[in-house]
Amino acid sequence: MKTTLSYLKPLRRLAVLLPLWGGAALGLGGFLMSCETIIDANIASGPTQLAVDAWLTDQPGEQRIKLVQTANYFNNGPSTPATSASVVVGDNAGRVFTFTDPDNDGVYTWKPAKAGDTTRVGIIGRTYTLGIQYLGNTYVSAAQMPRATSLDSLIFRKKTITPVSKEEGYRSEFYAVDMPGAVDYYYLRYYRNGVLQNRPQDISLAYDGAFRGSANTDGLTFIRPIRQSLNPEKLFALSDTMRVEMRTLTAEGYLFWELLRSQLQNAGLFATPPANVPTNIRNTTAGGPSAVGFFFVSPVRTRTAIVSKETLRGGD
Amino acid sequence: MKQRVQTTLLTCFLGLFVLTAVAQDKLTVSGYVKDAANAEGLIGVSVYSKETGTGAVTNNYGFYSVTLPKGTYTFVVTYVGYQRQSRTVELADKDVRLDVEMTEEGRELQELVVAARREDDNVKNIEMSVNRVGIKTIQRIPALLGEVDVVRSIQLLPGVSTVGEGATGFNVRGGSIDQNLVLLDEAPVYNSSHLFGFFSIFNPDAVKDVKLIKGGIPALYGGRIASILDVRLKEGNAKKPEINGGIGLIFSRLSYERPLFKGKGSFIIAGRRSYADVLAQPFLTGNLKGSQFYFYDLTAKANVRLNEKNTIFLSGYFGRDVFGADFGFNWGNATTSLRWNKVFNNKLFLNTTAFYSNYDYSLDSDLRRKPENTNDYFRTNAKIVNYSIKPDFTLFLNKNTVTFGGQALLYDFQPGTATAASAGTIRTFGLKSKYALESSLYIGNEQQASTRIQLQYGLRYSFYQYLGPGEVYTFGPAETPGLRSRPLLGTQTYAAGETIKTYGNLEPRFALKYELSPSSSIKLSYNRLAQYVHLLSNTTASTPLDVWTPSTNNVAPQLADQVAAGYFKNFGGGDGNLFEASVEVYYKSLQNQIDYIDRANLVLNKYLEGDLVVGQGRAYGAEFFLKKNKGALNGWLSYTLAKTERLVDGVNANRWYPTRFDKRHNFNAVLLYDPQARPDGSRSRWNYSATFTFATGTPATFFSNRFDFENIAVGTNAENVRNNYRIQPYHRLDLAATLQGRKRPGKKKEDSWVFSVYNVYARKNPFSEYYRPDPTNLSQTQAVRYSVFATIIPSVTYNFKF
Repeated sequence: MKTTLSYLKPLRRLAVLLPLWGGAALGLGGFLMSCETIIDANIASGPTQLAVDAWLTDQPGEQRIKLVQTANYFNNGPSTPATSASVVVGDNAGRVFTFTDPDNDGVYTWKPAKAGDTTRVGIIGRTYTLGIQYLGNTYVSAAQMPRATSLDSLIFRKKTITPVSKEEGYRSEFYAVDMPGAVDYYYLRYYRNGVLQNRPQDISLAYDGAFRGSANTDGLTFIRPIRQSLNPEKLFALSDTMRVEMRTLTAEGYLFWELLRSQLQNAGLFATPPANVPTNIRNTTAGGPSAVGFFFVSPVRTRTAIVSKETLRGGD
Repeated sequence: MKQRVQTTLLTCFLGLFVLTAVAQDKLTVSGYVKDAANAEGLIGVSVYSKETGTGAVTNNYGFYSVTLPKGTYTFVVTYVGYQRQSRTVELADKDVRLDVEMTEEGRELQELVVAARREDDNVKNIEMSVNRVGIKTIQRIPALLGEVDVVRSIQLLPGVSTVGEGATGFNVRGGSIDQNLVLLDEAPVYNSSHLFGFFSIFNPDAVKDVKLIKGGIPALYGGRIASILDVRLKEGNAKKPEINGGIGLIFSRLSYERPLFKGKGSFIIAGRRSYADVLAQPFLTGNLKGSQFYFYDLTAKANVRLNEKNTIFLSGYFGRDVFGADFGFNWGNATTSLRWNKVFNNKLFLNTTAFYSNYDYSLDSDLRRKPENTNDYFRTNAKIVNYSIKPDFTLFLNKNTVTFGGQALLYDFQPGTATAASAGTIRTFGLKSKYALESSLYIGNEQQASTRIQLQYGLRYSFYQYLGPGEVYTFGPAETPGLRSRPLLGTQTYAAGETIKTYGNLEPRFALKYELSPSSSIKLSYNRLAQYVHLLSNTTASTPLDVWTPSTNNVAPQLADQVAAGYFKNFGGGDGNLFEASVEVYYKSLQNQIDYIDRANLVLNKYLEGDLVVGQGRAYGAEFFLKKNKGALNGWLSYTLAKTERLVDGVNANRWYPTRFDKRHNFNAVLLYDPQARPDGSRSRWNYSATFTFATGTPATFFSNRFDFENIAVGTNAENVRNNYRIQPYHRLDLAATLQGRKRPGKKKEDSWVFSVYNVYARKNPFSEYYRPDPTNLSQTQAVRYSVFATIIPSVTYNFKF
């Protein structure tokens, strides 16, 4: 059992998923005495489905697609790999990439024929198709690789973790400018000293550099709450290295992450009813077993900075 | 159609006036009944003649009218908790005006605080499915953190439930929270909560009477389909100035009331403010400086009696919740109502109300408006505004009480604007206001058909116009109903004032009472109600930021048909009225209930209507109620057995599913104890109260399967079932004890200490249960139970009165 003072955690989602809610948590948690208890639960499994974990990028080198079978929600052991599938990716320029799984662990890989070959699978603007043959069924998916913007700078400011805390550290703020002319969808994550941070609140999403359904921010600098959204409750120390990674998504891909993030952050008074994340994987036979998961092709942009005199700024 | 209905109603009105003219050889006694201590009008006082046994009950303003053949009569005026009065009146050649002032019974008489109107009201009144709770009872019920709360108190009544403690609003007979019309002196309140749902906005020092109508809703009321919560404010002491106040853990309260114009009027002004932030202020330095965390409300009312026939009332409420340091939000209601009571003659009474109601909220990334943020901020806000005028006539005829009138209600929905400033560029984006006009006409009659049979019947016609200016969208059918947005087919622009879409609904109302014996009766009722506004929420419990949306060309109005039947019996005690018992059963059918697709974005989404799906609902149940009115120990027991379901195309494989607030069993006990006087006549300064609540756990939806994506466990609900599981039951015991201060001879001051304990046995009642990945390792899954108040909560409140 864990007693939580951060009663307002769920409010972040409520506030159009604002990640910077430190202030509002003030005081409330203290007198509400709310509490989360981990309980024993079991639930009947639904039918087993093929699950696709595919996120191809424009980075050179190996690309992977992981296929597993869905399991009972509380099965926390290793998942059952979907082996002996045939996995092929093609683009609209006629290139074909065959993914193979020689060690039968459900991880299908493609790598350039020889080392030093800088062939990239993902190229901005191209359309990609994924074909999977598995247990007599054919699954297909199509995805466009969206355009990308650059991460222009990354700076840090001295802060306390929350307004009520005395613990000081450095909060990051990255700068990027949204691309004008169309809605762009961004997924952001970061590495602290080389380690990917993956707490539920470490996933940041942006819609034209702001929140979905907020103002028309097309073409603007990312708005401040997004710029400062990456490490709200886990500040950096001097000399820490931060690497920010930005991937752009399609509209449906953004929805996938938005719903997945709400599964991760579900808590408290304003918990949302569970919603299935969308899938772009389709069984070619209507009425055949459906698959879950997603096929993404994204450009990846990064920026790395060390918390030091050069990157420190004053103010808020 | 509309024309014809209006003509018909008009004919009815005229017919009634003709009727009045006929009754010439009879004369009328009429007047106001008031509280002698402060000249507050008393609602629901029985005034009857001893000789004939016939009489009347005062209306919401304390006015009554009785018509009898010429003669001399002794009128008995009775009201629970007040000393019975009798007056002799001679009806010789003209009508008589008889205003009565009533004195509260002393505590020695074992006053009962569980207010009913007449002692045999339960059996004799045609009203069914109605609960009244006097403010004195509400003040005695053990309260969360010592804060006396109207909405929490009504949740102890049969047929009323809540999704969970701390949730906004309440559910009545399977209705969702937006289906309750919450009226504060006749102005609708869109959000009745402070601090999400923990406290209600009604200041107990300013409230006079609370009435909840769950069924058999008279034609006078309309606009919402589940219930009417009619909260009436005090008028203010018209005899002498009075100060009331209290200091609790959450709020401090202060109210001041006094006579105006030499007793021809009075006013009350009452305020409350939370002060967690005030106490914390010295500790808020540096970054924290200026953190805002508070809520407050201000309630005021004034009335002036211009002459015997005209009284004017002005009431207002303003309340706000503000939370945040850097990022924050605030929301609040404001209502104003101006009412004019006119007594045309001793048979015709008119109340005209004009009101304004506003509910708004905003989010701000820079609540403190720091200078360094002038180039970088994000703000969004939304509101709903109402303007209305509403004349209501009451015509007192022999054996008939006719009510008729109408209402025009203009809605201005502002679904939201957002402003984002980034690196100096400011962009505003907003959805345009949506306008609608809801007009209605009604007529109803309450008729004593025979000594045993009383009827109440009426008809309300509501006519709704969705008005321009505005952009209107048409959508095609969804590819997969319930899963996909409906495709946009076209956009049309309408000019200001143009009618985009109209809806009209005839809403018949009917109730019957049959007295089986002087101490028992059966009652039946049917009503149809229409509702033109909808509240959209994408969280399991409603939040202050939920979106109110009008009926449009894409969204049809909600309709409800309800039938209810009940058996009512009084028994025990010398007069047979010691206990009141009732059993009611109801069945309700609901149309055009809104649900939305899973990924619907409810905020600032101009195509939101394409994401909505519409279904039907049904609710049925039985309610058992036993109340003890007198004695050292009084209070009530209530038990509700109920089922509430929905059927929505594309949801839950097109099968009925329980709603989020479906609770099979709901049991409440409210016990109030005043120790008897000691043999020497002295009395204990203590009194006690206890409440116990038990309710079946609410339904929840859970994932059945999982898979991994980027090493995160992703849940899937493989068969897309809805509310397939029930969380643990809820039960809780609360206790309170009140110590009256010693009364000093010659001093006006009265005070009391209230000690209360909430959740006495510290049960970790579940508010919700959910499955999610372990926050410390996203590839592992866990099931979580969330309890809002996981522990025992003691509190103390000090109240005073000068």
